[in-house]
Amino acid sequence: MKVLLIAESREGKLLNSCYELMAFAEKMAAETAMFLVGSDSALPQYGGKLYLADVSAAGEYNPDGHKQLILDVVAKEQPDMVVFSHSSYGWDLAPRVAFALQAAQISEVVDVAGSTMVVPVCNAKLRRDVAPKTAKTVVTLQAGAFGLAEVPSAAPVVEKLTSQSGGKIEFTGYEQAESGGVDLGKAKIIVSAGRGIGKPENVAMIADLAKALGGEYGASRPVVDSEWVEHNRQVGTTGQTVAPKLYVACGISGAIQHLAGMKKSEFIVAVNTDKDAPIGDVADVLVVADLKQFVPALTAKIQAL
Amino acid sequence: MKILVCIKQVPDMESKFKVDAGGTWYAKTDLAWRMNEYDEYAVEQAVQLKEQVKDADLTVLCIGSEKVKETMKKALAMGCDRGAHIADEEADKKEPFQIAGIIAEYAKEKNFDLIFTGMQSQDRGSGQVGILVAEMLGMPGITTVVHFAYKDGVIEAKRELEGGVKACVKVAAPAVITCQLGLNTPRYPTLPNIMKAKKKELLSVPAADLLKVESRQDTAKMYFPEKKGGGLVLEGDPAALVDQLIKILKEKTAVLG
Amino acid sequence: MEYTREIYWNVGHSAGTLVPMYLFAFVAIGLLVKGFLRRVEVYKQGLPLDRTDQRGRRIRYMLENVLLQKKVARVRWPGLLHGLFFWGFGLLFIGTTLIVIQADFTDLLFDVKFLKGTFYLLFSIILDVAGLVCIFMLGGLLVRRYFYPPEGLETKTDDAVMHGLLLTILVTGFLIEGARIAVTELGTPLSYWSPMGLLVAHGLSGMGEGGLRALHKVTWWFHLLLVMGFFILIPLTKFRHIFTTSTNYFFGDLGPKGKLINLDLENEDAETFGATSLKEMTWKDIFDADACTLCMRCQDRCPAFNTGKPLSPMKVVNQLGEAAFHNPEANLIDSFSKEALWACTTCRACQEICPAAIEHVRKIIDCRRAMVLMEGEFPGEEVMAAMEATEVNGNPLGIGYAERGDWAESMGIKSLAEDAEVDVLYFVGCYGSFDKRNIAVAKSFVKLCQAAGVKVGILGKEEKCCGEPMRKMGNEYLYQSLAVENIEVIKSYGVKKIVTTCPHCFNTLEKDYRDLGLEVEVESYVVFLEKLMASGRLRIDAKELSCTYHDSCYLGRHNDIYAAPRTLITAAGGQLVEMDKNREEAFCCSAGGGRILAEEKIGERINIKRVKMAAATGAQTLVSNCPFCLTMFEDGVKGAEVEESLRPQDIAEILAERIV
Repeated sequence: MKVLLIAESREGKLLNSCYELMAFAEKMAAETAMFLVGSDSALPQYGGKLYLADVSAAGEYNPDGHKQLILDVVAKEQPDMVVFSHSSYGWDLAPRVAFALQAAQISEVVDVAGSTMVVPVCNAKLRRDVAPKTAKTVVTLQAGAFGLAEVPSAAPVVEKLTSQSGGKIEFTGYEQAESGGVDLGKAKIIVSAGRGIGKPENVAMIADLAKALGGEYGASRPVVDSEWVEHNRQVGTTGQTVAPKLYVACGISGAIQHLAGMKKSEFIVAVNTDKDAPIGDVADVLVVADLKQFVPALTAKIQAL
Repeated sequence: MKILVCIKQVPDMESKFKVDAGGTWYAKTDLAWRMNEYDEYAVEQAVQLKEQVKDADLTVLCIGSEKVKETMKKALAMGCDRGAHIADEEADKKEPFQIAGIIAEYAKEKNFDLIFTGMQSQDRGSGQVGILVAEMLGMPGITTVVHFAYKDGVIEAKRELEGGVKACVKVAAPAVITCQLGLNTPRYPTLPNIMKAKKKELLSVPAADLLKVESRQDTAKMYFPEKKGGGLVLEGDPAALVDQLIKILKEKTAVLG
Repeated sequence: MEYTREIYWNVGHSAGTLVPMYLFAFVAIGLLVKGFLRRVEVYKQGLPLDRTDQRGRRIRYMLENVLLQKKVARVRWPGLLHGLFFWGFGLLFIGTTLIVIQADFTDLLFDVKFLKGTFYLLFSIILDVAGLVCIFMLGGLLVRRYFYPPEGLETKTDDAVMHGLLLTILVTGFLIEGARIAVTELGTPLSYWSPMGLLVAHGLSGMGEGGLRALHKVTWWFHLLLVMGFFILIPLTKFRHIFTTSTNYFFGDLGPKGKLINLDLENEDAETFGATSLKEMTWKDIFDADACTLCMRCQDRCPAFNTGKPLSPMKVVNQLGEAAFHNPEANLIDSFSKEALWACTTCRACQEICPAAIEHVRKIIDCRRAMVLMEGEFPGEEVMAAMEATEVNGNPLGIGYAERGDWAESMGIKSLAEDAEVDVLYFVGCYGSFDKRNIAVAKSFVKLCQAAGVKVGILGKEEKCCGEPMRKMGNEYLYQSLAVENIEVIKSYGVKKIVTTCPHCFNTLEKDYRDLGLEVEVESYVVFLEKLMASGRLRIDAKELSCTYHDSCYLGRHNDIYAAPRTLITAAGGQLVEMDKNREEAFCCSAGGGRILAEEKIGERINIKRVKMAAATGAQTLVSNCPFCLTMFEDGVKGAEVEESLRPQDIAEILAERIV
């Protein structure tokens, strides 16, 4: 079994996700080669062979060009599987490569058993075991599903690729995320405050936890109504309907409009003193604790990670 | 200008899902059906483009049973001109490559200037069909678009990347665009348009006539994942609770890198 | 000697008096009629609407409110002043008319005089007192308007002209009387039957007869001209309310209260739905604007206005009038402003208090219909999302429809699909089906039925939202499709009686569904339970409870159910402390009119304001009868920071805790 791992770089930086690809290869016990459009100055720590196309020539976003470079490497290495991250880059490029290779593509793999891949269906409510019918396979891996490989201290054996210019799509630059206005609808992690936080001063404690987790903080309607938190952070059907990867509800008992606005979240943690509050029905984990003790302790621990 | 928008009818994700007797897909009972969310953005963008260029003909395509016509009617009420229903009782058994094959076969000699679709379906979620159609038709394809502008045959779009960063790209039509949340707010059909939609052309073509490619993957089994934490209740000393929760978050979510 | 007096004393009953007098009168009345005919043309710009059916009821309603001033008197002091002034002025008008009838008709043509003897004495004293009452009442109203105006009262030139003119007419009337008495009646017993006139006569008596006669003559003509001016001014000023407000009672909405007009959505010729301009409003909507006296009662009670939102029902009515008379092409939605239109909770406080029988809510809904059906516009994306959720899953919360009946499993309640042999169908509603807090209410209600031996069934996953919030938000299309599906299912099971725990469901099934073919009896749970208790089937232990009760808008003002819930609470041992705003005056919880689906972005929170009123009673429990109210109060007690001392509960919960 041989796999070709497609690493990514963005704005001159190597993305950490290449170590997830390596973790996947380890799990498969597969031989690896790696492909990267990047630069000499930002190489992964990797013990194998790295096919490197220079980003200044190939561009960071150039699907036609990158596809051709990968096809060239595939021709040389003859891998059984081409592995992408299920990222904006892999998402875009994997089907193009699969089509050219006449290979099956299996998207957002979360687990693997032999040649059978496990993928989520219907917002991860269900799962599917999928078996490819083609000799070669293209897969994309769900972020985080395989963890990070132990970073080897080795340096790769680099083989440089020359790229042809061209392609129908012209990349004209990046636009940075807007600062200021929060959009909870797009936040991956939300920590929300309910009336259980007791007083407005405690909003800071919730905001700190959100920051430590790399997310945004929100609030339930009563907290917004009391003007402890501004309007655009209200979670619920009469505010923002959200579906982050992690939702931490702090001191929220769970009025129906709040629940209906956040229950699609992938993982829900509720921190509450009341074990029987409705929020417990939708929570994956209900922590029965005093917020004022628990939240700062959790924040400190996460910051220390 | 000729525009095609490809949509899918999916179960509402709030539905009570069950695995069907065959064990490879969900059962159709007790499901509420709707237009795939990302396809709604596609329809909206296509209609906005039509309104912008005025002289345009907008076809909405959907593959599935007779029931998908309900969803197609919504697209027609939003402003599509005609419907192409690819009649297929077994559409859910087809993998993305076959679906893309059917669409490409339908579209190949019709000279669409633009093809819009969602970036993925909410149920299968493969995120492949749009790009595969583009590759099959030899058109450039732009994925996960959150901003779209068209002027004199040139498309300027923004793709959504991780962390809120956007990549700005430019391409000449014809092209395939796959639409992401944030591109627009799909309109609510007005009553006069709902009335008009009832009279719009909606022709059915059997899928067998358009299916020319073989399946490349099989679903072996569909099942419910093990409960994530399944309403786990943690009680006790706060310091210990912190450690327990961090352990769970590491195991069950991908948020603690 | 028989008591009487000479009519046309001093001015003379000659052609010299009569010709100019009648000339003036004819001109004045002509101008009055012309003024109104012009206004009728303006009313005619509106759509047709039949308001001349059931004439007996209409006339009775009009007389009740005009002669008895029933609605005017709902607000005590200004109501009393207006009522007494109305009666006083009315008597003066009748008196003057009697004089004209005798002098220029019966006496002139047939030598018949009736203003004599005891009748004349009564006539004299009644008119004298009426005039005095009028002056005092008008004075009171004048002081209120100009010295102690209630907040928001708009005072225009109209008001100054009206107060000034009426007061001058009254004062000159007494001057004339006084001058006449000073010359002809001083010292006679007759003079005591005009006490006010006598007082004036004493004041004037020093002038001597010549002066008095001159004063009398001049004032008489001046008084006459003022009265003619009054006639002319009626159509041109707010005086018109004498006719328009009275007539508006005749044209009033006879109910059922708050029932909306069903839009014909199948009408292929219809190009527009709802109202964006004057020609899409009915003539009655325009007439309403002419009947409005700017009394502010609607505005004073409007929950939106009183929490800093840009809606005043009074302004809506008057902006419509403004458009009708001065700018008929205006876009009404822009004139009213969208924020104002979306702010209405359809609580009906405005309509219930209006002393002019104006229908505020329908106008607002008509505009909302145009925004939703013609433009696909909503007050916010959250409302559009709720509409879409309802289209897909039949509930605005977007929860999978198949779970709708799950709550009932543990109660041993079956859906009609499983067992249709039931005593009553419980139409649960969305909140009772999906919201844990309100599921507790639904379970309590079922427990009460079970204790009383009533077999209850539900529709389960076949039940859909009744469509009320959607309809009130203007989405008539979605409402009708939900309603038609519900009605079809209900009919298919041969249901005999429906009971609801949600006043919005109740109002919709009981009134709105009738237009779409539902015939089954529908009852609110409070009435249903009260009957069960009265018949002895349901027995409740009285256990002490310190509480206040919130009349939901849809059980209260929309359906006049005020007594049954109070009977139930008292029977349960509740020591009820009423809030200041109770029954017809109850203050909305914020969630009516589809606002349950919307974020409250502007001003103070209505629910918090209401919870504070409840907290001010010192009661420990806030009893309600509506899932929307309960939801708003659960949030409201937190927002008002009284969650430790005030507990919102539904009546059903209180009763279920006390089942014997």
